[in-house]
Amino acid sequence: MNMEEIKLLKDGKRLDGRALDELRTIRIEAGVLNQADGSALVEWGKNKVVCGVFKPGECIPRHEASPYEALLKVRYTMSPFASLEEHGRSGPSRRSTELSKVIREVFENVVLTEEFPGAQIQIYIDVLQADGGTRVAAITAASVALANAGIPMRDMVAAVAVGKIDGRLAVDLGKDEDNFGQSDTPVAIAHRTSEFLLLQMDGQLTREELMQATAMALEATEEVHAKQKEALLQYYEKGKRGELQL
Amino acid sequence: MKQIILPGEKIADGKLRVSHTFTDGDSTYAAVLGFLDEDRFMPLEGPYQPRQDDVIVGIVIGVRSAGYEIDINTPYGAFVQSRDLRIRLQAGDIVMAQIYGGGKEEAKLTQVRRLPAGKIVHFQPMKIPRLIGKKSSMINLIKEGTGGEIIVGNNGYIWISENCNVPKALEALEIIQQKAHQSGLTDEIAALLK
Repeated sequence: MNMEEIKLLKDGKRLDGRALDELRTIRIEAGVLNQADGSALVEWGKNKVVCGVFKPGECIPRHEASPYEALLKVRYTMSPFASLEEHGRSGPSRRSTELSKVIREVFENVVLTEEFPGAQIQIYIDVLQADGGTRVAAITAASVALANAGIPMRDMVAAVAVGKIDGRLAVDLGKDEDNFGQSDTPVAIAHRTSEFLLLQMDGQLTREELMQATAMALEATEEVHAKQKEALLQYYEKGKRGELQL
Repeated sequence: MKQIILPGEKIADGKLRVSHTFTDGDSTYAAVLGFLDEDRFMPLEGPYQPRQDDVIVGIVIGVRSAGYEIDINTPYGAFVQSRDLRIRLQAGDIVMAQIYGGGKEEAKLTQVRRLPAGKIVHFQPMKIPRLIGKKSSMINLIKEGTGGEIIVGNNGYIWISENCNVPKALEALEIIQQKAHQSGLTDEIAALLK
């Protein structure tokens, strides 16, 4: 296939008809799982990501426990049926190991781990369906699930990818834009402080483009945060949090 | 006006020492999801953190030669030495005790008493104050309405005696847990138990 022939922009619109600064439709639901202490489901375009969080518990294995802070244990996995490219297995792979690590580092910056020395906090993220941008959907889901579980945090985290397609900067790249564009730059931002907790760059951007991309990400994560807040408010207004655990 | 607050949202200007919050610069922010009722921040979610003199309900999960391991809904659990006890316990027994010390380590318990067989319910620890009510009004209402004994542990474990109307008590608990952040709850529970 000749890469030059693929046009990702047509009349200023993208393949799925979005404008350059337009996000895909995002639907977030908090508290979707019964057995986890906190959970969230994020449907971000065609992505479907579910996250479950457990409150601080005994650290296993015990020798890993820190006397100063709780350890975060993040496991990101993709289902065998998540996309065409996973080869029918969902065990630890190079990709999921990397994502588990970067997501853990995002939340190590906001969770008040010093409140629970010697304990561990588990975050499980399962990607049920993937269509580009699963790590930002995963971070968005995990943030809602942590709030839902009542884990003390300094901030809510919202994430979005910015990239370059056909020479133009665009937010929230889909799978084809990710694969055939010139750059994909996922960004996670703490809402209150506007601190950047994740910044990865695939492909290349110039210094000016990167500055512009981060500004676009700041704007887009506001929108993502609004969805997160809406999901949590709705959850409490409906009074769904309340099924007794016997 | 009650307002739901997300972690990281500002609850007051100036540095305040309120539990489940943190300060940054000259302001105080919520650390967990909760609601703001006028100037009072009340958390809606969060794990139990033991404090001195808390009355808790625990479950014996391990028997060692020196004593008993007790699940009290914290990451660290509790251990009671058998030489401090006049009774023998078995795994699965339900006990009631008081926290001595508290903090971020294995808890010390005093006044350990075994409770007779009953129903154990896991309630959300942050909503226990609502379940007890002002001067125990809410919990007394439920006790009267269901005709039994209920012991509420600050750690979120609740013991309901066997002679209680258990289904009715569970129904009441579930409503309180769901609507802890709403007003008019006492009337609703009173109507339910009539």
